[in-house]
Amino acid sequence: MAIRDEDREELTAYLDGELDEEAARAIEARLNVDPELRAEANALRQAYDLLEYLPRTEASGSFTHRTLERLALSDASTVSQARPAARGGWPWWKSLAWAAVLLLALGIGFGVASLVPWLRFSGSPTGEPPAIEEQMVRYLRLLENRWLYERVPDLEFLQGLDRPDLFGDESPDS
Amino acid sequence: MELTATGETSRQMALRDPDIRLMLRVREDDPTAFAELVELYQHRLVTVLHHLVGSREEAEDLAQEVFLRVYRGRKKYHPRAKFSTWMFTIANNLALNALRTKQRKPVVPLNIHDSGPLGPRPAEHLVRDRESQPNDRMQQQELVTVIQQALDTLNERQRMALVLNKFEDMNYADIAEVMGLTTKAVKSLLSRARENLRLVLKDYIYMDGEAMPTPPPEMEAAAQERREPKTET
Repeated sequence: MAIRDEDREELTAYLDGELDEEAARAIEARLNVDPELRAEANALRQAYDLLEYLPRTEASGSFTHRTLERLALSDASTVSQARPAARGGWPWWKSLAWAAVLLLALGIGFGVASLVPWLRFSGSPTGEPPAIEEQMVRYLRLLENRWLYERVPDLEFLQGLDRPDLFGDESPDS
Repeated sequence: MELTATGETSRQMALRDPDIRLMLRVREDDPTAFAELVELYQHRLVTVLHHLVGSREEAEDLAQEVFLRVYRGRKKYHPRAKFSTWMFTIANNLALNALRTKQRKPVVPLNIHDSGPLGPRPAEHLVRDRESQPNDRMQQQELVTVIQQALDTLNERQRMALVLNKFEDMNYADIAEVMGLTTKAVKSLLSRARENLRLVLKDYIYMDGEAMPTPPPEMEAAAQERREPKTET
């Protein structure tokens, strides 16, 4: 006898642990006496379990960085639509976006920014605090390297790492 | 940083759900919170979206769009459900829009009953060789392809419900919330999805009552959890 849709729904819900105790017991009682229902349950479970073979996709390594950049650029673009670019010059929002990218490329970390406060606002043409999105892009390196920064006691330690008399020159000819 | 949440329910939810607390920090413009959120959810989002749209590149684009919408809507965020449910609701809407735009056609189910002139096709090895698991890397890759194609034969809603159920361990209530359906509708949707999957993958399923091969321990534990009956409150 063909399995009714209602029975298959109850069976699927049972396999997913979605039935209450009473309904689960009712299905189990039927499974004990109905080989066709039992075969259907096994087949449904096996097909579902085969999905385990599908790989979990991981986002690419630069995903967070690109997302934050996209956010910073899209918000800068939104602002620029309300404010026309300066006549004959580079639009101010492009300067801001490139400043954010440049700061990331130079690898300005939070440790430097905290000791030289004026640097925090150096990307802004007016000296005002940068938008929150720019701060997020700037702080991304802090977040990614937080486990390293937590071990740095102060700026003097960081500067000491750069002393050639202590750590030498790592060029191939040395 | 002191978090402010609207109402007693939101506060209780924030206490229970660390992701809600993180999102509330995003709402308060904590500069590191959003990056933390992206780091936390990126792989889960990309996995789900990849299984829906079929392209990793497109999945990453859509995942980025999800995060951007989360960020832009942050000032209006008031927790009423699990944070993951809210986020995957946005992902569901974007994925369905993308699929409808592409008008992605389902793949024709494979017919693997006949052997070709060079002997049995690789898929038939998987059917016949019941004594061993598809441990061989090539066999496993072929199986992955077959299973992905089987998933592609489902319509968008069936595929979404199944992927959320399987890869996000979402229960019917959460899936209903994400997809804007009733729990009863999700039950029906998943039943049809799993039946369709069973039909397409029937050649990889043991139907003669022989004992199934032992699944990996983590699968068995997850399956056992699902079989434990839930008591309605």
